[in-house]
Order: sequence, then C-alpha cells, then structure tokens
Amino acid sequence: MRIARSGSPRPGRRTPGNAESGASRAAGPAHSGKVILKLEDVSKSFGSVVALDGVSFEVFENEKVALVGDNGAGKSTLIKIISGNFPPDRGTICLDGKKVSFRSPVDARRAGIETVYQDLSVCNNLDSISNLFIGRELTRSLLGLQVLRGRQMEETTNAVLRKVGISMPSSRDRMEYLSGGQRQAVALGRFVAWGKRLVLLDEPTAALGVRETRQVLTLIEATARERTSILLISHNLLQVFEVVDRIVVLRHGKVVGVREKKKTTPDEIVGMITGAIFIKARGRKEDPGT
Amino acid sequence: MTLEISPAPATAGAGLPAAGTGRAGLKRAARRLLDNIVWLILVLCVVVFSLTITGFFSWENYVNILYQSVFIAILGIAEAFVLISGNMDLSVESVAAFSAIISVWLCAASPYASGLHMNTWAALAIILALGACVGAFNAFFVLRLKVDSFLVTLSTYIVVRGLAVLITGGMGMNGLPAAFRLVDTVKVLRIPLMVFLMVAFYVFFSFFLRGTRFGRHVYVIGGNKAAAYNFGISVDRVLLGVFVLSSVIAAVTGWFMAARTNGATAGMATGFLFEVLAAVVIGGVSLQGGMGSLIGVFAGALILSSIHSALNITAASPFLTEVMRGLLILVAVVLDALRRMFR
Repeated sequence: MRIARSGSPRPGRRTPGNAESGASRAAGPAHSGKVILKLEDVSKSFGSVVALDGVSFEVFENEKVALVGDNGAGKSTLIKIISGNFPPDRGTICLDGKKVSFRSPVDARRAGIETVYQDLSVCNNLDSISNLFIGRELTRSLLGLQVLRGRQMEETTNAVLRKVGISMPSSRDRMEYLSGGQRQAVALGRFVAWGKRLVLLDEPTAALGVRETRQVLTLIEATARERTSILLISHNLLQVFEVVDRIVVLRHGKVVGVREKKKTTPDEIVGMITGAIFIKARGRKEDPGT
Repeated sequence: MTLEISPAPATAGAGLPAAGTGRAGLKRAARRLLDNIVWLILVLCVVVFSLTITGFFSWENYVNILYQSVFIAILGIAEAFVLISGNMDLSVESVAAFSAIISVWLCAASPYASGLHMNTWAALAIILALGACVGAFNAFFVLRLKVDSFLVTLSTYIVVRGLAVLITGGMGMNGLPAAFRLVDTVKVLRIPLMVFLMVAFYVFFSFFLRGTRFGRHVYVIGGNKAAAYNFGISVDRVLLGVFVLSSVIAAVTGWFMAARTNGATAGMATGFLFEVLAAVVIGGVSLQGGMGSLIGVFAGALILSSIHSALNITAASPFLTEVMRGLLILVAVVLDALRRMFR
C-alpha cells in the first residue's frame, strides 16, 4: 500500500500515474489515473487538541474514495478544510495539480468542489428552487439591485430534479412539506447540478430510510461514472463497500491505511479504524524513502 | 445520465402518503389556513364593524383607518425584515421617536428647540444617518460580540429615547417649516401623501424581500444560518444590512410622525413597539425567523387600525383600548404558536 508522501524530490511527479501511484494502478483501478485532489501533510490543531496530523492522500479522476474513521478521528475537520471552512495549519492541498488555499466555502465551490452536508444542507422554510440555488442565485442587475431570475432557476431546478429521479409535487413547495428523501434529493441535486471536479459527501444517508439511501447510492455511482470524483464520509461500512473504489482510514488525525476495496475486507477496515490492526504509515520520520 | 431507480418514477421517493389524504393533508390545510388567517381576520373585522357600528362605513373612515395605520405599517416593514432574518429589533419605536424629536429640535421655531432653524432636508439627512448608526450599533453587538439581538435592542430601545430627551431637554416642541410637513399636508383625493408613500414602501420592499438576492438571503439566514454560511452567503453583511435598513425605516417613520403632529414630545410613539410586533406576527411573520411576507404585515397593521377606529367611534373607554391592545398581542403570539405546532 502506498500513500503519496514526499520522500523523493518533486519534479519526477508531474506525470499522472507516476511511480508513487504505481501500486494502486497496477490493480486495474476504475479511474483514469489523473490526480484530482492531492493532500500533503495536512495538519490542524485546535488549541492543544491535534485534529489532523500530517494527512496525505489523493483522489483520482472519476474515483470514489471513502474516508472512514471513528468519532474524533478528524474526518469532519478534514472535510471542512477541503471545503474551505478553515485553512490547515500546515500542509498543502492541490486541485488538478495546482496548489490551492481556500479562504471560504465560496472559494472551494468556485474551484469545483461541492459539499453535501449531512444535516445542515436545506432550508425548510424555502422551496426546492431556492434551496438548489442558495448562495448562487441567478440574477440580473436592475438599477443596482440584484433581481432574481425566477423562471430560469425554476426550469433548471425541474431539470435537475428529473435527473436525480425523485419526483415531487412541485418545485415551488416549501421543503417542510416534503419527505426526508425528497429533501435529501434536493441537497444531492446541488452536486448533480454544480459538482464539477470533486464532491464531498458528509454522511449523506445518515438521516434516510432504506429506500432513500438506495437512491442516494445509485446517484453517487451514476455521478462518478461521469466526470466527477467523490469523497464519501460514512459510518456505514456496508455502504462504503458497496459504492467506493478505495478507502482511506483515519485514526487520531493520521492516515493509518489506504486500501483498494477489492483487496480488503470490512474486518480489516474495522481493525484499522479501532486500532486493532496497527499500520506503519504514520509520518515522514518513519518513511524509509524511495 | 440515466438512473434506474424504480419502474414507476412517480412513486419514487414518496416516503409519505400522497399529499391531500388523511392526517398529512389535514395538517397541510391547517398550515395554509394559519399562514393566511390574517386576511380572514381583516375581512371579518371590517365587515362586522361596518355592519354594526354607525359611522364606520364611510369613505372618510376608511381613509382614516389607512392614515392611522401608517406608522405601525411602516415600522412593520422594518420589524418584518429583522424577524425574518431570525433576529429581533425592539429599538424601532425609540428610533422613530428619536428621529422625530431630534428633527423637530433642529428645524422648529419653538423656543424649546435648538434655535438652528435648520433646513428640512438637511435635518432629514441627519436623522437618516443617525438611524443608520443605531442600526450599525445594534449589528455590531449582535454580529461581533454575539449578543442576542433581543437584549441588544432592548438596551438601545431605552438608550435611544433617553438620548433624544437628554439632548433636547424633554420639552414639547412645535412649529415646523412647511417643507417638513409636506408628507402630511399634500393630499390627493383627501388622502395625505404619507399614505401613498406607505403603499409605495410596501410595493418596493415586498419586491426587495421576494425578488432580489438580498431578500432571498434574508430568508435563507432566518431559515438555516449554518447552511447560509456553508453556501457562501456573507451572513454578517446581510444581517448588518437588515439592522441598518430597520433603523433607517424607523427614522423615516419618525419624520412622518413629526410631520403629522407638527412637533414632538418626549413621550411620543410610546407603546408602538408592541403594536408593531402584534401586526407583524398576526400578519404571518414567525418569531422563529425565515417565514412571512410584507403583504401579510400590511393586513396586520390594518386590523389593528380598524379595531382602534371602532373603539374610537363607539367612544369606548381608553382603558378598554389598553385591554384590546394586550389581547391582540396575545392573539398574535397564540397564532405564532399554532403555526409552529402545525409545522
């Protein structure tokens, strides 16, 4: 197993699919070999609490990667860093080979990273149209006022909801009139509509029933078949194994293992999450180098 | 992209029984009724009063009801913006009184005024600017120091009126220049200009709230602040705008109040706050934020005004008026609670 880690000088890594990802590529991965997201040595502390300690991994184009770990392992912190909620103390994030530093969620979204949060994602007091377009409303300027383009937003919403495949009476109904699955469909509609390079899914099925969960997973699979890569956070290993290509395990703020789905078992992943299996992949100091 | 979800997409995602059947449908109907109940109450009030009270059913009285509703209705716009954004502004009444007192003090020919005999428009510019300052002051404590808006504006509610009395010495003043009073003295169809201005404010601000990005963001923040932040809305900037807007509208109301009474007293507009809150909440704006429309607030203000008119015409005891005021607030709060129950 290899985690992209810099022991060797940088220049040799320009070409995608270079030596450092060789091991995973040899297994015949689902992705094209082009790195979309690359984290190197990302660290973050809150006061004396070290939330992330030298996290490095990468996500390839069209790849579905799961980020798993126990509560407090640092998953949420990492998602918040990637989605631009706050910067890391140390380390770099590269998107499409370019170093990025997001100062806000807007920056991340502009760069093509869309985030679907587990519960913070919909406004129940508004309709589907408003929800789909929160923070990115279509407007035209009229005497200095940003006037909403209602019809255009409604048409887009209806098209997106059709694509998501969940029917609802009207896109003008307030969310509070909709079922849990329909609400989550609107939240997921955002990544269908806007997810360009990478979609971060933070426990997208935590609040859903069996049937809605099934739909969400289908949607995730279908989306990644297109151009987008997915980083999924989930507690549910069954789901993880159903959907993703690769699994990154976090423990106490460190990456303790990265596994191809086909080459591992839920037992092994659980072992890594709980620390029963201790993997020597802790940081640079122990890295023998290449 | 094609998704294979279920053979009949129409049933996909229908975790609940179809709308309109059984308990869910009943609940939905109850919600719709409660959201629009303000119109039912207004029509009921006007019809019942018109039929039972002699002198109520006349053009003069209807114009008077509109005229008497101006202050509460305009302050209602300010309060609605703040409540929909998930905050509260108790200072609107005092800001209105402050603006009235200070502008009269600057302009009037009264011996108790400043003696500056300031130009009307200069004085109005000053009170609007001071209004904006009060709004920014409120916003600073709410946004930077994270104090609850109820408590911050409770303090400005007391401080601002106190300041006005402190500056002017608290004496009643009158004798305003003609330009200052134009909003009251110019009449079309025997209706004072300020009534038309009130309607114009409602048209403009309804559009501003419903049809612009700023207004949409006010609803988003009131509904789910965390989502607003996550989706890149500059929450603090929008809320600063809301507080400043609220205080500036209140300052304009102060101008209208001074124009109508041709002067100002230390105690003017006392008690308006509760009438404004009653009108806004009866009108369908939720105290929890995120819900409501300005047109409902307008109807709420008209209800209050028609009840006052009815009490006036029947020469009811002023103490009965007080009792009615209190009861109206109770009605408003109960309606808000019912709406929440059916949500």
